[in-house]
Amino acid sequence: MTFDPATVAAFVDGELDDLTARRIAREAEGDSALAAEIARHRALKVRLTAHFAPIAEEEPPDRLRALLVDDRVDASLIGRRAAKRARFTPIHWGAIAASLVLGLTIGLRPWMPAADVADAGGTLVASGALAEALETQLASDQPADAAVHIGISFRDRKGRYCRSFEGGSLAGIGCREEGRWTLERTLGGKERKAYRQAASGDLAADAAAMMVGDPFDAATERAARDKGWPIERRERSTSVFLPSPLQIPPAVSRSIARKPAP
Amino acid sequence: MRFEEQLVELLPRLRRFARGLAGSAGDADDLCQAAIERALKSRDQWQDGTRLDSWMYRITRNLWIDERRAAGRRGVHTPIDDAVTQIAGDGTAEVEAGALRGDVDGAMARLPDEQREVVILVLVEGYAYREAAAILEVPIGTVTSRLARGRGTLMHLLGEAA
Repeated sequence: MTFDPATVAAFVDGELDDLTARRIAREAEGDSALAAEIARHRALKVRLTAHFAPIAEEEPPDRLRALLVDDRVDASLIGRRAAKRARFTPIHWGAIAASLVLGLTIGLRPWMPAADVADAGGTLVASGALAEALETQLASDQPADAAVHIGISFRDRKGRYCRSFEGGSLAGIGCREEGRWTLERTLGGKERKAYRQAASGDLAADAAAMMVGDPFDAATERAARDKGWPIERRERSTSVFLPSPLQIPPAVSRSIARKPAP
Repeated sequence: MRFEEQLVELLPRLRRFARGLAGSAGDADDLCQAAIERALKSRDQWQDGTRLDSWMYRITRNLWIDERRAAGRRGVHTPIDDAVTQIAGDGTAEVEAGALRGDVDGAMARLPDEQREVVILVLVEGYAYREAAAILEVPIGTVTSRLARGRGTLMHLLGEAA
């Protein structure tokens, strides 16, 4: 192995410059010891992420919320939020988490519509109008009444292009790999006006956490689109070791996709 | 968005971070409560437009460190740091590693505080090294070396397959 342990760790953490990362990815294809080391680091990361993820899905206790929320003003919003969460309680999360393969880092929502989402071998990907918008629509040049509103575009740690979006019944973040947009984050969309601001805040925070470098300006966004969001080479070389974050057993994802939007 | 609303949105992630630091759910929520109260009191120090999450994580982490130090002075916590750094090759530790296989909480609890906080920030919360360094107010090199030691210990305790 020609890479020291710190460099391998930095590779897994998405901390290396593109050139070094590519060198490692290429080297790992022919070096089983290096590949195993990378896999070991990734397995630990996935293990920890999966272990702590359910905590962020719990309803925060009232004593904490009460410090921040004025009930007289926000009672109706809190009520709706509680109702929203009640449809998908931590118990459900536990059941689903147990049935998902390692790698789950984010949540599905049961009202996810079937139309704009497809199950590609256990990975949730954008389809239809959503896929079209992610592929072609520019945040800097989109109609105010567009069915899908594109937010920010950025590169993530795996070198993929990712874009946040908000549609009629679904909002989230899609990342392009292998010619399609994998849904990395999903939330109820803008029709749920009560949650719209909350969803935007969540997405912005998620995007910030995923992002390497800065969000794209209009020129960078346009250039990336015109080139066709090209990251396939790096993506193929790294995806060998890490399942996509949204790996869902086909039976589970089918049952979710069939569920009608309320 | 109002300051309080942003904190409400941040709360689920903050609870996860606190749980990683403190270990138990009760201690974690106590820590969150203290952090929120501190944040509300010090809100003037947060500059709008900068990242509220980093600011809140720093407050939370500093409160936790203060609490750990105070507890240490009172003799509440048994120091575990020395034991962990000697884990490799130690017969007792090998037995312990076997018992902990599959127990993420147990393995995390055996990390020294300064390694655990880095592991959580980078591996669980997904912060870049430089962001973690800013939150912890240490150099990046300190982050990477603590992360490497924490990782090594976790891999050992949780087994090769992690």
